[in-house]
Amino acid sequence: MKVSFSLWLYGHLILPREQTRYATRRLLRSIVLIAVVMVPLVLALIFMDGMMSGITDKYILLQDGHIQIYVSPEEELLLNDFNDARIASADQVVTGYGIIYSRETTAEVKIKGVETTYFNEMRREQLEFTGEPLSQEGSLTTVMISEVLSKTLGVGIGDRVAFMIVPENTSRTGIRPVLAVVSALYASGYHELDSSLIFMNRKDAVKYFPQRQNSYTELLVKGSAVDQLAAIIETLQVKFAQDFDYATWDEFNTTVYQNFITSRQVILMVFLLILLVAGVYVASIAQELVQDSMQAIALFKTVGALHTQLIASYFATVMTVTLLGLLCGMVIGVLIGSQLGVLLHWLGSSKIAGLQYYLLDFPIIIKWKDLLLIGLSMLGISSVTVLCTLHRIRVISPLEVLQQD
Amino acid sequence: MSEQLLRFESVTKTYISGESRLVILEDLDLSVPSGTSVAITGKSGSGKSTLLNLAGGLDKPTAGSVLFLGRNVGKMHDKALSAFRNRHIGFVFQSHILLEDFNALENVCVPALIRGDGRQATIQRATQLLKRVGLADRLDHRPQKLSGGERQRVAICRALINQPDLIIADEPTGSLDEASASDIETLLLEMVKEEGRTLLLVTHNPLLAARCSNVYLLQNRQLQEGP
Repeated sequence: MKVSFSLWLYGHLILPREQTRYATRRLLRSIVLIAVVMVPLVLALIFMDGMMSGITDKYILLQDGHIQIYVSPEEELLLNDFNDARIASADQVVTGYGIIYSRETTAEVKIKGVETTYFNEMRREQLEFTGEPLSQEGSLTTVMISEVLSKTLGVGIGDRVAFMIVPENTSRTGIRPVLAVVSALYASGYHELDSSLIFMNRKDAVKYFPQRQNSYTELLVKGSAVDQLAAIIETLQVKFAQDFDYATWDEFNTTVYQNFITSRQVILMVFLLILLVAGVYVASIAQELVQDSMQAIALFKTVGALHTQLIASYFATVMTVTLLGLLCGMVIGVLIGSQLGVLLHWLGSSKIAGLQYYLLDFPIIIKWKDLLLIGLSMLGISSVTVLCTLHRIRVISPLEVLQQD
Repeated sequence: MSEQLLRFESVTKTYISGESRLVILEDLDLSVPSGTSVAITGKSGSGKSTLLNLAGGLDKPTAGSVLFLGRNVGKMHDKALSAFRNRHIGFVFQSHILLEDFNALENVCVPALIRGDGRQATIQRATQLLKRVGLADRLDHRPQKLSGGERQRVAICRALINQPDLIIADEPTGSLDEASASDIETLLLEMVKEEGRTLLLVTHNPLLAARCSNVYLLQNRQLQEGP
């Protein structure tokens, strides 16, 4: 196939002459429309990735850590001294469940006993505190509850609450109420988490949850090592020369994790459907282009042009328009998406009731691989729909030129 | 004796539409020697254009053979037919049929670019041809800015750019006024002669037909030697 003709024709189709304003306008309109489709997709992707990552971070940093390791108390000490560049922190934690009471109402909560060192820099980035976390004043157990829970229970710093420990063992009947004082409030920004998580000093929590299975070491790994959890566990198993119970975040929170995976898959499916519709639109550009060039195509064929030469030129033209629209849409989407945090922060602080259940304050994450995937999917789908449409060139008979005489 | 460039051997062309069967050409024979000009005349609807379509490889005979330099055009597959039309046939249509979005020079270049000729050489040859037909100052004019006669000159140049063996002209002056028609007829015959090409033309104009080497009358699905 001689490509010089195809290139020459492509040049004319993609850069129509000044006189053919309609053709130029049509190409520009197509680029704009493709960009208009891409912008919300890119924004939705950035929002989805950012929110899921934000929620995941909240769960990992405040509730479960990356890895929970169940080892003996002696080994816990060893774990504390374990130096591994991939591990950001190792904290001994005691957890259990209870019901918290104020004068007005009750709430089911997860009680987490931690040392004050638990709130390291990484965790503090996720939280806003009112008061000093877990400061001990007097003999009463101190707890730090969330601002959400504070509103639910109608209590503030310095107020007293009672809670009942829910026994792990149903044969144990000694359920006793415990009195505590609220020493600080925290806000993670995620209502779902805040409404059920309270913190207390670990030494107090050990008294209420003495069973061995309530204590574990919570490991946080550095951002660069989040994909190496299995390797880190393997290293630890070698270190302790034995198997120990452990759970990674996704195993421990299977439901939440699976919900994220399912949501993500469903959203990507929706994206795919939108891209299919966009692909049909791109095919309509090809159809319009061919429709307006029927006589020219018939003439090209009369003087010897091959189907493949013509299809190549028209295909390249439509795909160039698609690519330009795609790139414009992605650039605009990323530019707006990178400023999404400001808008979300404003929404988050707007006190609009319906928004309180959403995590609106999260770092904006632009996953270039996902954007590339969307872009390639768009190009792939468009290629197929355009090629199907351009098949019409094959059936345009050169005789059509003569029949118009 | 001249080499036979084009031969129709017992060619029949039938169009079938539903139950009806329309025979356009029946058992038709024609020989077109190289370097000659052959005119086909006949009433409207007698099948002249069908004959040209068969000669130019745009249509296939229902029966019989169309032989071009001994090769059966009717048996060629699409790709070979495209190459055949590009290299061996130059078309001139009644209403010129130029590409409206392209200027005169580009219109003339199209067949050569399809053949894969270099752009510079193609432009050079197209410019020469357009100068020869008196359009040196119209190279970058688009068809809308050309008169009917000028457009047909561009079409003749397009037909000649690839130096084809056979020029097929279907009523080349049919849409022009008398003065322009006369100019174009002269130009077409002169250029075909200058370039050493063979001309197969369909015309209603007896004066034009008379200027050709051979004249045939297409009547009752058969060709008869003309006056």
